[in-house]
Amino acid sequence: MHCKELESVLEAEGLGQLSKDARLHLATCGACQGFVADLNTIVTAAKSLPVEVTPPDRIWISLRAQLEAEGLIKEPVEVSEPSSWWDSLTAWMKPRTLATAAAALVLATAIYVTRIPRNNQPDVAKNQPKVEAPRPAQPQLTASVPSSPTLPSSAAPSKPQTPSKAKELAPSPSESASFTLNQAELDVPNMQLAGNSQVDLALRQNLRTLNAFIAECEQHLKQNPQDELAREYLYTAYQQKADLLAAMMESGRGDN
Amino acid sequence: MCASSVIPGTTLGATRRIRISSGAATGQLARQRPAQPVAWTEAEAIRLAQAGNAAAFEFLYQLHGRRVYALCLRMVGNPADAEDLMQEAFLQLFRKIGTFRGESAFSTWLHRMTVNVVLMRLRKKSLPTDSLEETLEPDAENSGPKRDVGAPDLRLSGAVDRVNLERSIEKLPPGYRTVFVLHDVQGYEHNEIADIMGCSVGNSKSQLHKARTRLRELLQEEIRQQAREERKAAKTPSGSLD
Repeated sequence: MHCKELESVLEAEGLGQLSKDARLHLATCGACQGFVADLNTIVTAAKSLPVEVTPPDRIWISLRAQLEAEGLIKEPVEVSEPSSWWDSLTAWMKPRTLATAAAALVLATAIYVTRIPRNNQPDVAKNQPKVEAPRPAQPQLTASVPSSPTLPSSAAPSKPQTPSKAKELAPSPSESASFTLNQAELDVPNMQLAGNSQVDLALRQNLRTLNAFIAECEQHLKQNPQDELAREYLYTAYQQKADLLAAMMESGRGDN
Repeated sequence: MCASSVIPGTTLGATRRIRISSGAATGQLARQRPAQPVAWTEAEAIRLAQAGNAAAFEFLYQLHGRRVYALCLRMVGNPADAEDLMQEAFLQLFRKIGTFRGESAFSTWLHRMTVNVVLMRLRKKSLPTDSLEETLEPDAENSGPKRDVGAPDLRLSGAVDRVNLERSIEKLPPGYRTVFVLHDVQGYEHNEIADIMGCSVGNSKSQLHKARTRLRELLQEEIRQQAREERKAAKTPSGSLD
């Protein structure tokens, strides 16, 4: 074999397994030995080069912008996948929470102030100490909420609760709110809320949803009393219920 | 010659589940990245990208971007052009991803697109690297191993470092450079290179051998140049500037 033939073999087969003839030639030809050694040096050096080089972040930013501009990226359509009750309720609550909290509290207080004296006026006139009568009845009122047909049987407030238990679930600010709300709710079933029966139906449906949510929050808090998030949601739910009841009563008053 | 590293898109690369975390992201990119790390197989990501899922596009980009960037960088030799070419390659890839049917490995498909983009650019722009091809002796490819009579010992052993190798690779003609980078640097097999380059396996082998031979000459030239500079420096009197 000559040098040129060896090179043809290298070109066709690479530097791997050489034929016996090629090996014999290499053993006797210093120039070809040097040549093959150089090629092996190059191959070894090439393998030491980094296979991957991290590109700058700006490439992806620019690429993504281009993909969006061309409409190649399609944002996923919201699919109503069955999610956990907690996730869905959490999502439902979030947008309104902060915006309505203050207004709802004010409304609830206003309703309380305007309705209670009117309901108890005869008692107040007859006997001053009787004004205090509804106070001890607070647990009963709380317990009476669940008796509403709109609430699920599993709703926490539907179970008779001791005052201490109620306190554990709803600290003092929400106790009065809960009391007020439940009392206000007592009037709702008998009230024609709106001239439009569809609106009426929607309002009642909203109330049912809120009651269910409150019940679930309370249930959750029973199991995880330290869950601050659940407690916060419960407060918010009370506020929203106050808001809703105020709207319902306003509507009922206007129509009746 | 066997590939020494795992290549994304080969059987292993196509089926393994890869987790990409966005934790290191910063700035605008961080805002655009999904909040949670995603763990998909390449096949899942391709399917989602075909449906226009942004996270899947990014997943594929993160999975292959570093190799593609390395290829572009070695092909054009400067980061600005490499960035431009990489973006163009991925843009083409994502435009056509709907047509990907899995007949070849995804990485092969991507590299084919990248190589085409790079070669097209080199042809269009006639980057300075092309001109060097003309300076080489036309019969160099057909002659036997070069022997420089009377020249100093030009054995490359111990004289090739990363810097002069990278510099010499940049001087290779684009075709040789592509095959050399794909095979000897990135570890692709000849059948994969043939698929990427649209040539026969024999052609790929032949091109690789010629690339190595040419590279040897370029490296020898580098060594000679260095030797000349050293001699020049040695002749210059040390106090001549005073």
